[in-house]
Amino acid sequence: MNFFNLLGRKKPDIVGLAARKDIAGLVKALQYNDVDVQSQIAKVLGSLGTEAMDELILALKKKDKRIRLGIIEALTLIKDPRAVPALITTLNDESSEVRWEAAIALGEIGDSRAIEPLVPALKDHDKYVRYGAAFALAKIDWKPADDIQKAYYFAGMQEWKAVKLIGKSAIPALSHILNDRDSNVRQKAIEILGEIGNPDATPALIHSLGDASSEVRWKAVLSSPRCGIRLMHLPRGLSRRPKMTKNPLIAGVLNFMIPGMGYAYIGKWWGLMIYEVDIALTIWIFKYWGETNTYELLFPIYLLLAVHAYYITKKMPEPPI
Amino acid sequence: MSLGWFLARGKPDISALRQARDIRRLILLLNHGDFDVQWHAARALGTMGADATLPLIHVLGHPGINTRLGAIEALGAIRDPRAIEALAALLASHETSELRWAAALALGEIGDKTGTPALLSALRDDDRYVRYGAAKALEQVGWSAETDQDRAYYSIALQDWDAIKKLGKPATGPLIDLLKERHPAIRAQIVEILGTIGGDEAKKCCERVLRDPDGDVRWRAVLSSRRCGVPISVLPLQISRRQRTGPSAIGASILNFFFLGIGYDFAGKWWGLLILETYMMLLTLAQLELGPFMPFLIFYPVTALFAFQTYFMIQREAEMAG
Repeated sequence: MNFFNLLGRKKPDIVGLAARKDIAGLVKALQYNDVDVQSQIAKVLGSLGTEAMDELILALKKKDKRIRLGIIEALTLIKDPRAVPALITTLNDESSEVRWEAAIALGEIGDSRAIEPLVPALKDHDKYVRYGAAFALAKIDWKPADDIQKAYYFAGMQEWKAVKLIGKSAIPALSHILNDRDSNVRQKAIEILGEIGNPDATPALIHSLGDASSEVRWKAVLSSPRCGIRLMHLPRGLSRRPKMTKNPLIAGVLNFMIPGMGYAYIGKWWGLMIYEVDIALTIWIFKYWGETNTYELLFPIYLLLAVHAYYITKKMPEPPI
Repeated sequence: MSLGWFLARGKPDISALRQARDIRRLILLLNHGDFDVQWHAARALGTMGADATLPLIHVLGHPGINTRLGAIEALGAIRDPRAIEALAALLASHETSELRWAAALALGEIGDKTGTPALLSALRDDDRYVRYGAAKALEQVGWSAETDQDRAYYSIALQDWDAIKKLGKPATGPLIDLLKERHPAIRAQIVEILGTIGGDEAKKCCERVLRDPDGDVRWRAVLSSRRCGVPISVLPLQISRRQRTGPSAIGASILNFFFLGIGYDFAGKWWGLLILETYMMLLTLAQLELGPFMPFLIFYPVTALFAFQTYFMIQREAEMAG
């Protein structure tokens, strides 16, 4: 939430700002934390037409993401080709939402200069940006140069049947999206690689056997034999997956040095309770029994806690594959 | 001296070891830190023939999982029937499902029918990888199902749901047995098929699954129950008896009574720790001032109120979660 909103920032007077054609004021008002207000401002800016262009393009450099999003929305409404170079630059914005909206805007403006920078956006690591780029390219009547590009396009649109029909040439596109953050997308890519059934998919499938998602790993196992990978090699490939097991030695040392933290490290909620009780007890014993007696009493207890944490960590069941 | 040179120097020359037939060192490399070295060492061992069988069987008891996986892989490649007994024993009893899976696949690679009984038992394993590996291995040893029950277990292992539906009633027993599966997606699929097959056994089972801890599985059980003839009026009561996976309201309130804040932490509220820190600090300061016991007379009436609030908060949240 915006700090100014917390302080009860006043809702911007959109009608007044629009009447005065106060572009700078409207741009600033895009920071107001209400999507409906932001959308309303973007529409007003869009209705100002080409006279707002220069100021809007300049404001695209603002740090606040909400401002950039609002301006791109306005530029989409204005549809002035002078915005194309600035929007192309925005395709490399750090925010995936801004990149996505920039791709959509370029499609809406429909200028053919956008084709060249939109094609690499089909390889963006974010599925929304890829979808926006594919959508925009379709609007500009772009034709893929070859089957590999065509596969990137259909993968961006998530038209999986079309991707599958491309066959072997779709392997680079499908391998690329195996790095997507959405495990459902990764699962789908693995499934299609299996259906294509070409040995060239082997590195991608072996890579996916070590995926963080158990469902992606399972799909990779099912797809591997179809691509000619011998089943016998799969268990080793799967052994590379991120392990969720905890180190007993760390748990033990932690429990000895900071009693309770070893338990907290292995996910036991009561670890922090022991930690707090230990602090209180130490202060109390220290005050009433003196320093030497405190150490003599607590040291064996800490040792026991360390040994206990070590053994329970060691005996913790392994999570399912 | 570049780091790359140093790393390259550290990599063992596996082809030289293979040519020298140095089985002992190749086995040591199965636990190497580099995944590729492990992989190539296992492959090299697989080309050593029957000479490597006994040393590889010996390391099946090694504490390192990579060594055991590599040894199983190599035994599968060597295809020496002397390994069947050790692999079957591992398949039947090892607690790590990854190793059971690899053992099943190796038995398939060896391709000897002696391993069939162990593989048939593995079709009933509670892990989908082991079942799948066993079904694929049975194909490799040329096994074909003689009974409907075996056919059902085999089809479930391959997740060939259409084949299971076609099998009908004989599949009911194996489907119910494999509801022990840990992955909710498979339990949900099983309960859906039970609904399609129907019958008394399936009906009883659907009633049981209505108490599954997973929401999706319970929902599929609701839909299947109707198809199995379970009256819709009994469903809400059955569902209300489901296993609760959330925190215990009583547990959280008792905890909050004795250590204010930890009950909230137990219930998954991050700010519980903040309250606990503050409470413990205040308690310790009060103890230093008033002695060890007096502060509890002041604090317990307050924490009792929080304990009540915690109990009702968790009850309400559980109701809303459904």
